[in-house]
Amino acid sequence: MDPLAGMDDSSTDDETASQTTEDDPQVPEQSHIPPPAPIVPLPPPPQPAPSTSAPQRERPHYQQRHILRGHTKSISAVKFSPDGKLLASCGAETVAKLWSPETGEFIRNLAGHTEGLSDIAWSSDSLSLATASDDTTIRIWDVETGVTRKILKGHTKWVFCLNYSQASNLLVSGGCDGDVRIWNVARGKCMKTLHAHLDYVTAVHFNRDASLIVSCALDGLIRIWNTSNGQCLKTLAEGHDAICQHVQFSPNSKYILSTAHDSAIRLWDYQSTRCLKTYTGHVNAKYCISACFSVTGGKWIVAGSEDHKTYIWDLQTREIVQVLEGHQDVVVAVAIHPIQNMIATGSIDNDLTIRLWTDRGRGLSA
Amino acid sequence: MNEALINPFHTLSHPTSIQTTLPAAALFAKFDPSGRFLATGRHNGAAEIWDLETKNDIRCLDGHVKPVTSVDWSRNSRYVLTSSKDWNIVVWDLASSCDPPQRYSTLRFDAPVVSASFHPKNSKIILALLTTGEAYLCDTRKGSKSRTQLHEVVDGERAGADSGSSRRSYMTVARFDPQGKYIFIGTSSGTLLVFRTRTKTMIARHKISGANVMKGLEFTRNGHRLVTNSSDRTLRQFILPSYAHLETPTTSTPTTAPHSPSSSPSPQPPPTQEIWEQDLEPTHRFNDPINKTAWHAMSFSPDGEWLAGGAADSAAHKVYVWDLSNDGQFVSALDGGREPLTHLHWHPKKSITASTTNQGNIHIWHCPNPERWGAFAGGFEEVDENVEYEEREDEFDIEDEAVLLERKMKAEEEDVDIDTIAVATSPPSNEPAFSKFNTSKAGTPAPNGDTTATLGTTPQDGLGGTGRSDSPGDMAMHVDVSIDPDALWAEEDPDDDVPGGWRMKVLMEDTDDSDDEHDKVGLTMIIS
Repeated sequence: MDPLAGMDDSSTDDETASQTTEDDPQVPEQSHIPPPAPIVPLPPPPQPAPSTSAPQRERPHYQQRHILRGHTKSISAVKFSPDGKLLASCGAETVAKLWSPETGEFIRNLAGHTEGLSDIAWSSDSLSLATASDDTTIRIWDVETGVTRKILKGHTKWVFCLNYSQASNLLVSGGCDGDVRIWNVARGKCMKTLHAHLDYVTAVHFNRDASLIVSCALDGLIRIWNTSNGQCLKTLAEGHDAICQHVQFSPNSKYILSTAHDSAIRLWDYQSTRCLKTYTGHVNAKYCISACFSVTGGKWIVAGSEDHKTYIWDLQTREIVQVLEGHQDVVVAVAIHPIQNMIATGSIDNDLTIRLWTDRGRGLSA
Repeated sequence: MNEALINPFHTLSHPTSIQTTLPAAALFAKFDPSGRFLATGRHNGAAEIWDLETKNDIRCLDGHVKPVTSVDWSRNSRYVLTSSKDWNIVVWDLASSCDPPQRYSTLRFDAPVVSASFHPKNSKIILALLTTGEAYLCDTRKGSKSRTQLHEVVDGERAGADSGSSRRSYMTVARFDPQGKYIFIGTSSGTLLVFRTRTKTMIARHKISGANVMKGLEFTRNGHRLVTNSSDRTLRQFILPSYAHLETPTTSTPTTAPHSPSSSPSPQPPPTQEIWEQDLEPTHRFNDPINKTAWHAMSFSPDGEWLAGGAADSAAHKVYVWDLSNDGQFVSALDGGREPLTHLHWHPKKSITASTTNQGNIHIWHCPNPERWGAFAGGFEEVDENVEYEEREDEFDIEDEAVLLERKMKAEEEDVDIDTIAVATSPPSNEPAFSKFNTSKAGTPAPNGDTTATLGTTPQDGLGGTGRSDSPGDMAMHVDVSIDPDALWAEEDPDDDVPGGWRMKVLMEDTDDSDDEHDKVGLTMIIS
């Protein structure tokens, strides 16, 4: 079932990379991990009929399942493939790594960049992976063979973030030169350069039909762009000294979710420029920390934190419903499995692990 | 979904300038129903699919040995049909992952094919028109495989009888209506024949006086209006009558009463088997009064409020635009340079048209929005002129922070919906037949409001009677659609073209020139 099983693993230049640990000695209270069991189609457990009067909400019950060791420098991004079969991660070393979310096994390295990596993105067919590197290029990889299909050159400084469009014919990237570039994936050529910001562009994201791009930068602004003509449609400025770190459209593209350095995550209605929800309680004042929508079970917002924890909020009530502890350093990267109740988190300097957390279904909302 | 941000007033203007030109070597170009792709037909027998987002040719469908005469898209863009002068129609499946895509099926005829189209509800039903002036309805479904010639029934003759065929005129254009319920065929003698798709029988004949040879037919998306192109160099717009009274006898009695317009020769609706003969009077005639140019093609805007006509000018590329919501007033003649126009098609959703030149280039026209510089400043709003600011009574009152916070928290109580995708984002063609009638983008959800509202209150000759009597007819059609035997028939044994059921795979071109090109750039920089 693993598409890469049995493939030549000659690119595994890092022998220690394939080690996975099923228990974590450092976190004894969460060390009880049952042997790997097929967790794919978990039928939702029989739920008592939700009483209409009781306002108590379902809570998630994520538990640590795997620790993925192998990165030797700070992790910058983790992403599940859209079909859920692979997990890709990257960090300050020059390779991107592929893992099996099912077993936690290391699968292969994607080696070719000459500098560290800041971001990765999957094409919607899960066959290609794009990586953004400090060597100013973006590489598009054939995941099955591990071969570089395209090298996208154009950015004049480090490439910091990137994302595919839903149709995967376009790629958008943001660089430390303040530019946002739109790429033609089939040709590997830059179609458009938007001089979008005056500082590092820290996140870029397409909406569902790829008609809009949202970007944010260390200049503190969130901007929305018309993909077809490159015009700026709107600028959202977060209040005061809240410099936005990460921004993305909601799954239906009606809202955007932003994380900012005032330790707040905000959900915006970008049409009316209104902040609809604010999620607080975590610590975020220094690092670029991403947040995620989780819609496989209940509706949660998930984000890392500088207090080494990962926080899960209820989308509607804005309450913290679970805190995942285990990492030994700042959790900067977080990703949500597209089908199962699974979270991947990645940490930096003193930790360098990726942890996979699963919710076995007790907390599924009806 | 994002229209409000891109186009805050929800107006669909007409395109005004060329955004880009695709060097496609094409004879014509047609948008797919989603508006993401463009299919072109070429003189060498190939057809190409272009991605409008990347402006790239992404597929080459090479299956004919003579020029392609028409292309058509299935409703969710999965299948593409090409017809050619090599006597064949080829259906292609774009969901196949190999490049070039494999042909899905081939239909062979005994003469060159002039045009072909998919049934709007099932791509396994194909309408073909041959150079011999014959039209065929080809049903390729397993249970009902058939190829039926559509015969014009002439006076005093029953369908199927062969005598008097000399009096029949050549069929010069054949189209399904947008619901696929009827087939409209234009003839060389200036008549419009209407066939019922399901029974393949002719039900009506409309004489269009002065039209001569019919050259083209286009419908508005809701199927209420039709524009014809004919050899008298005039485009005519008609409001289509309802054919509901030509149904089976059981339903004919209640629905027909409003339908026998005073101009109809027979006051009583004809029995089912007979042909409804009626002259249609156009609501508008569009022509070029000065140059008297003929028209190569015409196309409605998605909301049916604009009509674009491609002039058959031998020395210029001219697209004429008329405003149908403003009584068909001529709006502008867009100049596309010196390469004469051969084909024109309007985007299914946006204010974009594609016009093809005789050199094979495709001009993509758009309506440029002016850059709004205010968009770069957060929290600022542009105003058209100076406004005297009036301060609210409590505007600068200092409020207790706790109260402020509480108010903010309260405002955030409201539930948000992050993952339901609004229905409007899916193309209207995906929707069931009944709602399709109401998805007119003109913003007139009332079923009978469309024709009257969009055409203004001072229609030209003949509209008064037809237009008004038509409205109840729409109602009748609505009732009819919900139990529509025609739709049921068409949706039997459906094709695999389900909404969201396939994805156009992005094929990466194996051009290892990224490094070479880099060098070239370096070289040119040195030279300059």
